[in-house]
Amino acid sequence: MNRAAYELIVVHIDLNLDAVDRKDTSALLERYKVRFPRHTYSSFGLEEALLLESIEWKALGMTEPTQNDPQKPGSERLQQLVGSLPSATSRTDVITTLLTRLLVDVAKRNGCESILFADSTTRLAEKTLTETAKGRGFSLPWQVSDGISLHGVGFNYPLRDLLKKELMTFSSLTVPPLSDLIISQGPSSQISASSKLTTIDDLMAQYFESAEENYPSIVANVVRTSSKLQPLTGDETTACGLCGLPVAEGTDGIYGWGGDQNSVSRARQNKSHGDLETQNVLCYGCLRSING
Amino acid sequence: MAPVPCAICKTSRALIIRPKNHQKLCKECFITIFEEEIHHTVTTTKLFSPGDRIAIGASGGKDSTVLASVLKTLNERYNYGLELVLLSIDEGIKGYRDDSLETVKRNAVQYDMPLKIVGYDELYGWTMDQVVEAIGKKGNCTYCGVFRRQALDRGAKMLGIRHVVTGHNADDVAETILMNLLRGDLPRLARSTSIVTGDEMSEVRRSKPLKYAYEKEIVLYAHHKKLDYFSTECLYSPEAFRGSARTLIKNLERVRPSAILDVVRSGEDMAKLVPEAVTGISHCKSQKVSLSSADGEEGAAGCGTNGRSSGGEMADMEKKLQEDEEASSREIDVTAAASNGVNGQRHDRIGSKTEPQNGAKRESGKKLTRQTLGTCKKCGYMSSQDICKACMLLEGLNKNRPKMEIEVDVEDEESSTLRRRMERLALAAG
Repeated sequence: MNRAAYELIVVHIDLNLDAVDRKDTSALLERYKVRFPRHTYSSFGLEEALLLESIEWKALGMTEPTQNDPQKPGSERLQQLVGSLPSATSRTDVITTLLTRLLVDVAKRNGCESILFADSTTRLAEKTLTETAKGRGFSLPWQVSDGISLHGVGFNYPLRDLLKKELMTFSSLTVPPLSDLIISQGPSSQISASSKLTTIDDLMAQYFESAEENYPSIVANVVRTSSKLQPLTGDETTACGLCGLPVAEGTDGIYGWGGDQNSVSRARQNKSHGDLETQNVLCYGCLRSING
Repeated sequence: MAPVPCAICKTSRALIIRPKNHQKLCKECFITIFEEEIHHTVTTTKLFSPGDRIAIGASGGKDSTVLASVLKTLNERYNYGLELVLLSIDEGIKGYRDDSLETVKRNAVQYDMPLKIVGYDELYGWTMDQVVEAIGKKGNCTYCGVFRRQALDRGAKMLGIRHVVTGHNADDVAETILMNLLRGDLPRLARSTSIVTGDEMSEVRRSKPLKYAYEKEIVLYAHHKKLDYFSTECLYSPEAFRGSARTLIKNLERVRPSAILDVVRSGEDMAKLVPEAVTGISHCKSQKVSLSSADGEEGAAGCGTNGRSSGGEMADMEKKLQEDEEASSREIDVTAAASNGVNGQRHDRIGSKTEPQNGAKRESGKKLTRQTLGTCKKCGYMSSQDICKACMLLEGLNKNRPKMEIEVDVEDEESSTLRRRMERLALAAG
């Protein structure tokens, strides 16, 4: 009798839109299957996220998935959506959100209890500061801690105590090595803050790559710190139309808080208050990504 | 290329690209919107009441000069009914503060505001130059920071004023948020974002009306209003840990101009997520954190915060964290049960395998009590300890035996030699 305690479903979500790139990634996935044949594998293109009914597409200025022109392939529509966003950081942000939501959907459809993420300490520290810099500080309790996520499925980070460099070392020392299964990203040291293509995510990756070298305990301390933040309870909340995270009453959007000192935007907000019922609620971070 | 019209008045030619949102504005509209935004902050947060006497912590630098100028303008335009006074601290740094104080003296005439200068020498019997002479470059920013925070309050009390405004801007606040995340200081993270520290009960409240104003816009405002300010950095070593966060903030701003404001927003939201137990009691570093009113989290204003510093402080903290981990592994029988349940990050996994040694609790004094605000037994100034930090430092100075290690705050500076030694240690350990 097989004594595996868990049944693992390996889910790959392909962010490539190009058919040639997709061929490469599916070839890589085949190598995984050969190496770890016991698991179930599935692969999805990110455009499948566009079919999710849990996302308020109107808030993104898009039509509902069902009303879409069936002739137009999903990848094209995804490209259109992503292309319409105001900056590289916004594009990365929305793509990440869609990926998470699709992953949750796949997990739920497969009756999974939990999603295992491979985030290292370094990655979680990166994420803490990235989310902070994107105005998503409110979301940290759901993004870096183990446990049941708001989407009703557990999020767990079993590699949370390991630094990226430790994972790299392990992958080359273990027998047989894992190196040929890993897509290695080049060093981020060449990233320039003046490039239009550079994202906040890139800057943070670069920052923690160097921090990890000299100050591994500080990197771990960042994660330890952000993991202590507790989700707000007892407040009236609404789910953000895009990322689905709870937004406390009156804290949605980028308008109407202390840092929004512009009378023009306040007038705009007041106007939209009239049809609050039909108004889609977006969190600060998501609206920032869409509006710029 | 045709001149671009101002995005607000649509008539004048746009000459300024707003750093905050890249809006193209004419000079007049920029000045107006900058002032109106501060007015918005002041009114929505109900910062002042008519008849209030307000001391403006004035260093002569761009932030406090702009703050004084804008508050004067708004006070007259909107009848705030405030009595504004300039309050300057003379740290006694020749070639730096004496020159910047000349600027403040001119400001007092320009803005027709009374000026009070409080000197370290009269309060403490020491100028910073003398402190540096006595202790060398080692940790002098600690002395200066501790002394200044108290001096501002003491100066305000001399004037019978209960509210001091400082020139901290959005960049400073964002920096402080990232810095507190990097050094794992949740109590300060919870406090540092609020616009006012202290309440009606406090002897002296502090607030930062420029909390949402971008540093770049402050510089632009000062430039276009032709304000008279002093722009030399302090001669002594700048705060080091902050430097790393500052560089990060500047890069973030380049990638996404809204990022500074977004960090401030995140900080405000995260402050609500800090567990109550942590704001009162925390494990590692916060026992050195006194109440914010007595020991503000931002010593930045008026200090050189130009980001050219080394990572020495980070090296120090790295070493301290590693020591803490080692120590906690030694007291494994005591704390294991408590720490297993949380998301503990322990990098010293080898260390944690060592046999528990009962007597080896090197850091046994670490358990802390909730901070309560009392008064210093020596000077009577508010303090969370029996003897306030300033008096402790002074005692060391007066004994001519500097006691840097009494309270090695994470903000503290170490001498460059010590710093280098720490870096070597950290490298060797890694």
